[in-house]
Amino acid sequence: MMRRFESLLLPLRLSWRQLRAERARLLAAMAGVMFACVLVFMQIGFRAALFDSATSLLSAMRAELFLLNPLTTASFRPEPLPRIRAHQALGIDAVRQAVPVYMAQVTWRNPENGTRRTIQLVAFDIESDAMGFSGLPALADALKQPDAVAFDRRSRPEFGDVARLLEARQGTPLPVQIGGRQMNVMGLVDIGPSFGADGNLVLSETNFRRLLPNRDFSSADLVALRLQPGADPADVQARLRALLPPDVVVLTQPDLVAWERRYWEEATPIGFIFTFGSLMGLIVGMVIVYQILFSDIASHLREYATLKAMGYSNGYLARVVLSAALVLAVLGFVPGAVASAILYDVVGSATFLPLGMSWGRGALVFSLIFGMCAAAGLLAMRKLRDAQPADMF
Amino acid sequence: MTDPVVLEGVSHAFGEGELRRLVLRDVALRMAPGEIVLLTGPSGSGKTTLLTLVGALRALQAGSARVLGVELAEAGEGQRLSLRRQIGFIFQNHNLLGFLDARQNVAMTLEMQPGLGERQRLARADEVLAAVGLAEHRHKPPSQLSGGQRQRVAIARALVGEPGLILADEPTAALDKASGHEVVSLLRGMARQRGVSILMVTHDPRILDVADRVVAMEDGRIVSAPPAGRD
Repeated sequence: MMRRFESLLLPLRLSWRQLRAERARLLAAMAGVMFACVLVFMQIGFRAALFDSATSLLSAMRAELFLLNPLTTASFRPEPLPRIRAHQALGIDAVRQAVPVYMAQVTWRNPENGTRRTIQLVAFDIESDAMGFSGLPALADALKQPDAVAFDRRSRPEFGDVARLLEARQGTPLPVQIGGRQMNVMGLVDIGPSFGADGNLVLSETNFRRLLPNRDFSSADLVALRLQPGADPADVQARLRALLPPDVVVLTQPDLVAWERRYWEEATPIGFIFTFGSLMGLIVGMVIVYQILFSDIASHLREYATLKAMGYSNGYLARVVLSAALVLAVLGFVPGAVASAILYDVVGSATFLPLGMSWGRGALVFSLIFGMCAAAGLLAMRKLRDAQPADMF
Repeated sequence: MTDPVVLEGVSHAFGEGELRRLVLRDVALRMAPGEIVLLTGPSGSGKTTLLTLVGALRALQAGSARVLGVELAEAGEGQRLSLRRQIGFIFQNHNLLGFLDARQNVAMTLEMQPGLGERQRLARADEVLAAVGLAEHRHKPPSQLSGGQRQRVAIARALVGEPGLILADEPTAALDKASGHEVVSLLRGMARQRGVSILMVTHDPRILDVADRVVAMEDGRIVSAPPAGRD
């Protein structure tokens, strides 16, 4: 046991002493690994943030089960389903509430400068507790008034600084032109922008009908189901599937979020772009580390040959090279992770994307960086063959 | 005690086909325990090739070579590797690791020996460095040592593992006369004390006096080799 431990520790120590002896080369290698590290962190971070934001509206909904038209590919472009399915679902005891949700995209005229921009409408029975958007319960009564809406405070700034304008009106509603109709913004809720929508408005079913009188109101875009306390969602899901005709699918909330996410991952190039970006970062990093390790071996060829003559095995020297790769991975990763955490903050506040460092992501990037360095080490190791002890004399 | 080196009918060639060139022809050589043998001869006479064969750094092509009791004609790479750990090598250039100080360089020999802790390794390195007169220089890297001092570190490195045989390739080539002779005398003294045999290739006529026996080679053959162990 002790022996095995030493056979790993001694090569590691030798490689560290060798790396340490040439500061400039070590710093160059560290910078290379750090560069790759930051690149991968940013690409993975953007990717996750975009997918998270794509599903922010659905994640904010509080219901346990959802009914959806199976042809719906993404929530910003829903296919209608018969509203009657909501009532049918109530036929199962465990279903406490069935709330039809209506979604549409309309234009919003910026109350500050008059520019127009598309905004997402989310309409449902405000009195139900199916949505759970924060800030909504306080506005429930106000939204019952004709032409009342609530504005998502995390919408992109291009919609105007609604929070400031509302405050300036000291409790009276803010009139805004929405979809060619004068509506009143009563207050603010918290949802978050997504890929499909830069901003959100929440309103009652009735006001939605006023705004879009041409919609067929025998159909809804989504039905949110709240279950009785203690009911098992998987069990109710199975019973609903058996009960309802095949023109609706029954999804749990994680299913629904995954459904939406799969659209962005598979039907758009976004996932590929960021995977490709990460891969490029890893390749550049690997080339840098390979160059450093290779030139380290090349310039110490006599020493390596001497060690072979003294009875050091090829395996031992291979462990020295791989240890050097490991040391570089760690030395480059630590500052790279710190720099990425800072960049996440800076970029996150500039783009309104939910960028954040997590242990899981750190572990993922470290294993990628470690793999990158190990691959570089394995490539550089071939140079060890040139260390021929017989040519030393 | 068996003889550390027994060569019989050793031949060696480099190259293939038309370019095949015989560098050793039917060489026989026997070294007695503790004997110091100098191998001389013009360049290209095959003495360095002979040294690499005895040092298990090349595969034996023809003949029989018993080094420290191991028959090299039948030895695989693994056996040759473990044999090399029982041999102390001293090169023309010191070949010390530039990023290690003197005692770390010497301790490198001991890192392959099982059952030794770091403290024991460094203690033994210090002992041998003191024996070669470098006690106060043991924390210096090779770049801060003179040529003679570096070669003395190399001697310490070769001796610290208590080898059964020392192979040296022109250890004085990079040194001036005084330090060259000093280094070789030191090597001889330490080998005598420990009863280790030395096979040394040299061009240097100034150091022939340290040898028990001088073997001259020419054209891949030994031209003067009074039999060892009979006087």
